[in-house]
Amino acid sequence: MIDSVRNTVLSILNKNNFGYLSPADFNLYAKQAQLEIFDQYFYDYNYQINKENIRQSGTGYADISRSLEEVIDTFSTVANFTTNPFALPNDYYLLNRILPQGSNYEMEQVSNSKINLLLSSYLTAPSLSFPAYVQNGNNATAYPDTITSGTIQYIRYPLAPNWTYSVLTAGEPVFDQGQADYQDFELPADDEPRLVNKILEYSGVSIREMDVVNYSLAQEQLDDQASK
Amino acid sequence: MAYLTQYQYYENDGASPEDANWGSYQYVSLRDIVSNYQLMYSGNNELVNEKSRYKILFHAKRAIQELNYDAFKEIKVLQLNVSDDLRFILPSDYVNWVRLSMFKDGVVFPLTENIQVTSAQAYLQDSNNRILFDETGAALKPEFSPIDEARLNKTLKSMYLNENSPYNGYEGWCIDGMWYFDFPVGGAWFGLNTETANANPTFRIDAKAGVINFSSAMSGESCILEYVSDGMEGGDDSLITVNKLFEDYVYAYISYALLNSHMGTQEYIVNRAKKNKSALLRNAKIRISNIHPGRLLMNLRGQNKWIK
Repeated sequence: MIDSVRNTVLSILNKNNFGYLSPADFNLYAKQAQLEIFDQYFYDYNYQINKENIRQSGTGYADISRSLEEVIDTFSTVANFTTNPFALPNDYYLLNRILPQGSNYEMEQVSNSKINLLLSSYLTAPSLSFPAYVQNGNNATAYPDTITSGTIQYIRYPLAPNWTYSVLTAGEPVFDQGQADYQDFELPADDEPRLVNKILEYSGVSIREMDVVNYSLAQEQLDDQASK
Repeated sequence: MAYLTQYQYYENDGASPEDANWGSYQYVSLRDIVSNYQLMYSGNNELVNEKSRYKILFHAKRAIQELNYDAFKEIKVLQLNVSDDLRFILPSDYVNWVRLSMFKDGVVFPLTENIQVTSAQAYLQDSNNRILFDETGAALKPEFSPIDEARLNKTLKSMYLNENSPYNGYEGWCIDGMWYFDFPVGGAWFGLNTETANANPTFRIDAKAGVINFSSAMSGESCILEYVSDGMEGGDDSLITVNKLFEDYVYAYISYALLNSHMGTQEYIVNRAKKNKSALLRNAKIRISNIHPGRLLMNLRGQNKWIK
């Protein structure tokens, strides 16, 4: 998809000889665009849940929240930990579930301001049946402290897209996805127009073409309205 | 899918203890209660949303505690011998007592709670009745207060009809093991205080001290304590269970407790949850009371019995 997105972006930019976007700039903008859209999925999901709660959503093909969930779940991955406290994965966006080793009893995230209150309460003290963890920086501490290993299921950040080439033909880089550092977008194909718009937005600012910026913003608004 | 195979149920898969699963089908675990609640009653499209699990756990345990106090008919029983200190230390999971009995000669004798004070703390005093203190400023205490000493020495008089009654041995009372009472007029006994008309040993519970103090006649006897706990199983969450008859009530209780304490919840929703909780508790209590036609019939058969 990345080559298609780049071609579309260049096509729009070059239509009126607005300017040219180098592969390095494209990759930078592509990363930003993908992150923005990825982040927006969670807000869209929340929006759809609110619509469900006021009975403005349907089932089957009208089940928008399910399709959003499916996209988010493509970024779901698992890591293990073998100490306590343990380091959280570097690429996590959202910790979804942490399980102690050999247990189905999910650890609950508790804020640092609450953990001492919980630990000092007979009724709510974390146990192996109801374990908990607190987060400090990029580390987490599990309670009870007899937990020393387990698995983390989390939503990771999408990998940074990288449009790669190996040769220049007539001064133009030729797309080559066989390069070791090649990385396509990880978002679904229907996000291509949004990616194009976002990248155009950044490009327009970069080459100081407000027409491009305005066009991409207008497209984005239309897209938002359509999805709601 | 079967919960347990018959072999697991009857013989615990050959593991020890063999009786680990006997009767387990009556109960649902705390773990299941919390998981089911999170799954079915809490979440994006539910009335209860964004509540931490520890809050659900807290209210689930509170519901189970409340049920254990009166609704469950799960009485724990502990039998211990009472030595000459006339004391029975309360069980570690004791919350309240139901009945105390003395087990003697193969008979269970129900004991009566003494309406008089039978135990006290005391401070050491000088000849002018001034309290004595140690170097830290704390009042000095004797090992036993005078009333405790009298009770332990079997000299404390009792208003109950036992050997410590002040009238014991007097004409008209207990003579040679036979009991006679005041003023027999026309076959009826007048002057008898029925509240204290009991010859068995008596007891008083010192809840703060964590002991049951007995009258002196209990020395060397075997005591059976029936009591209720709070169902928290000594803090082991994995052992906490609820009778299935109360499962729905526990869910309703959690919902009510969460909605009631959540700011901004409409009052009609809180009231609905409250009514639901109360109705389910009534239903469960009726169910667990086991009013069987057969049992009623046995009682009704007594209707033609001659009383006099």
